[in-house]
Amino acid sequence: MANLNGNMYGLTILSPILDDPKIKISHDTALRMYLQNMHRHERSPFAKVAGTHICRLVVMDDVVYVGSPAKEEHLKSKYLIFNSNLYGGVDAYLEEMARKIPDVADDIWSHCVGYPGVTDPRAFAAYMKKCQIETTFFFADVNDKTVEQTLKALQTKVEFTAFVEENQGRSPAELQREFAAFWERMRKSPPPDGGAKELTKGQAARA
Amino acid sequence: MTNINGKAYAMNAVTPMKAWKTPILRILFFLLGAIKSKQQDLINLSFIHFARWVIVKRNQFPRLAPEQPEEQLHYDYLLFFSNFNGTWNQYIDAFSAVLSTGLNMIWRWSEKFPGSVPVTAFKRYIALVQFDTDYYYTAYPYATTNDVKAAIRVDDRLQAFANDSAGLSPDEFQQAYLKLLVKVQADIGALGPAPMGT
Amino acid sequence: MVKLNLFDIQGFVARGYSFPCACYLLAEILDYKAGREFVGRVTEQVTSAERWEQGKPPSTLNIGFTWTGFRKLGLPDATLLSFPDEFYQGMSSRNRILGDVGKNDPANWEPVWKEDIHLWLAVYAQTADELAKRSDEMGRLMQETGGARLLYTQQASAIYIDGKPTSKEHFGYTDGFGNPDYEGVERDTVPGQGKLMPDGKWAPLATGEFILGYPDEARELPACPVPYLLGINGTYMVYRKLHENVASFRKYLDEKGKQYPGGKEKLAAKFVGRWLDGTPLELSPDRPDPDLVRDPSRNTNFTYRHDSDGARCPLGSHIRRANPRDAFGFNGELINRRRIMRRGLPYGEYTPADQPASDEDEHGIIFMALGASLYRQFEFMQQQWIEYGNDARLGNDKDPLAACHSAGSDKFVVQGTDDPRNTPFVCSGLPNFVETRGGEYFFLPSLTALRLIADGAVDPR
Repeated sequence: MANLNGNMYGLTILSPILDDPKIKISHDTALRMYLQNMHRHERSPFAKVAGTHICRLVVMDDVVYVGSPAKEEHLKSKYLIFNSNLYGGVDAYLEEMARKIPDVADDIWSHCVGYPGVTDPRAFAAYMKKCQIETTFFFADVNDKTVEQTLKALQTKVEFTAFVEENQGRSPAELQREFAAFWERMRKSPPPDGGAKELTKGQAARA
Repeated sequence: MTNINGKAYAMNAVTPMKAWKTPILRILFFLLGAIKSKQQDLINLSFIHFARWVIVKRNQFPRLAPEQPEEQLHYDYLLFFSNFNGTWNQYIDAFSAVLSTGLNMIWRWSEKFPGSVPVTAFKRYIALVQFDTDYYYTAYPYATTNDVKAAIRVDDRLQAFANDSAGLSPDEFQQAYLKLLVKVQADIGALGPAPMGT
Repeated sequence: MVKLNLFDIQGFVARGYSFPCACYLLAEILDYKAGREFVGRVTEQVTSAERWEQGKPPSTLNIGFTWTGFRKLGLPDATLLSFPDEFYQGMSSRNRILGDVGKNDPANWEPVWKEDIHLWLAVYAQTADELAKRSDEMGRLMQETGGARLLYTQQASAIYIDGKPTSKEHFGYTDGFGNPDYEGVERDTVPGQGKLMPDGKWAPLATGEFILGYPDEARELPACPVPYLLGINGTYMVYRKLHENVASFRKYLDEKGKQYPGGKEKLAAKFVGRWLDGTPLELSPDRPDPDLVRDPSRNTNFTYRHDSDGARCPLGSHIRRANPRDAFGFNGELINRRRIMRRGLPYGEYTPADQPASDEDEHGIIFMALGASLYRQFEFMQQQWIEYGNDARLGNDKDPLAACHSAGSDKFVVQGTDDPRNTPFVCSGLPNFVETRGGEYFFLPSLTALRLIADGAVDPR
């Protein structure tokens, strides 16, 4: 199954965008404006969709004319590309989108042909899959960690690096005590927010 | 600049292919997937989080309603999506320098591809076929794929250490801690913002 | 086999002059007609790369231009627009890319760097008298032609210890190893200076990495300004005045050297990747080796393939960052287009090791680097390898010695083993050892190009 690489799934969706000559602002323009203003980082809607490692939305206006002797041709519709590198299964993921970010899904895909709305997550998932193109080849450098596992590991790296710096040269007994306290704090601290712009040394490494 | 989020760059490219060449490319991709060693170079370059190629045959563009006009195309299209670390120039320089054979195998079927060596014409072609991202999300903008892999290693080793060192005497603990440090000493670089793009 | 046109290439470009003293003059062109006359007069004396069959001359003279200098001299717009972005913008505009922020910000540079710098003149000499004579002559020529105004003079010289010139810099490190070998240079290939071949031997790099008009490592001719004749046999130069905080450096080493099990000398070696005498850690991790250092067939002949954990030469040490060799795999092929040709000299009074040092004293390095592409070679190395560490898998950690540590929280990890004399060690709270006090990008044209400029005959077709 070419869409899969380990536990990662390469979802590629091309949704035809509505073409309505009667409206003032075309659907593709409105879509672009919406995407430009959509919340970013930890406030991104995709931070709420579990399993989203990295994703993007791209309005594809047309194919490209590479120059003679290639022929010039054009797409009759514009397409919204949704490309997600997700952990887990695709059906669960799409239904998760419908449940967790229904307003955003509406705002985006209502500009596309045949959009059924989000009230029925299964119908939404089915609609998205109708626009799915099989990924021919999917490369994933890390293919076996959930988003939460990844974030927690990054947090551990930051906190432990600080621990190493701060506890260099301690006596064995002190070191052991400090580590025990550190580990306890690490166990209890929640994973960092997905999509956050930075991951600063938290309070976990110090009392 | 919406192609960039923290340390990740979202590249999109579309190239036309004569329909008879498409099956050849499919076979090559199949072989690439089946022969792990061919992917080793990509893994060793270690600056791509995720990348994919998507062949869209000329009659495969989704059509969801009769009012939506049917596409009438001459060419099949190869879409390429990459999430990489570093600058656009660095990325293409590296590929041209060490992965040119693989790149050529994939893109030689696309019309007017000039080859990945020398690099100047190659960059011109990519700039022609690249199109920009409108919205880019990554759950960890401050982490390159190297940072992620280092974090996973540190996490695993720390977990093992915490388990194995329970109940050791202070001196034994220090010895074990030293061994841990030796294991993670290459993985404790700082996590910060990306360098400003050139 | 590439044959360089040694009569056309400027001497400073093709070889490192081993003269003990130098002086760099910065000038403003006053008027394009008189300016061209001045350039013409200088060109009559400019030192080319031809061999000195009758021994070294008493002094040499070379010249470079900024983009604004070319514009002031009346070069056509199409030519001006054909130069790369970074050359047009100038070094101070590129400060965020280069890490010149905080203390290193151009706002803190010497005042001259805010002026209209059009020309760079370099005089190297065998004695201080010769140096004064030649540079005074340049001043007179400027006045005589009315073509230029001297803005600034920078003296530089080798550091003398016990009356003898050395290749040391002010922190005490021996400098000058590892300049790249390239095709056409008339000297023996020194193993370790060129590019690594699949059979493990070293070969010269393509000439076009360092001089325009010759094929480069990408197997094409490097980007060149228009007309071609203006650019070939010329090259770009990075000029940076780097102040060294000698007191801070010694204090930091004293402090950390007490804590580091290997001791102060070894810690100093770990920062750079060479012992103070120049012995590479990779070949001699436990002690300096004077015989090794004196032997050019050995002193830079090493790779990192047997040291992937950095226990001998730390992963983030200066020379491993500036020239990673095979550390990133692929037999070193990722490095070949990122090399720089260095030409620097120290400036200022040397404080011997047993004398108290000061951060305020005027001393440091005039750092100069040549290459066919400023952004692909120097700027890339500076931004991605010195001020950042992802390619070395070190995240955001920076070069301990050369990078800007304005936050005060940067660290340097010395990788080790479980041998108690070589344990892993973290140097925290790195201060800013080096401060950028000024700099600019210049183009050093061939002698033919200099004559075209002087004659006002640059035609972009």
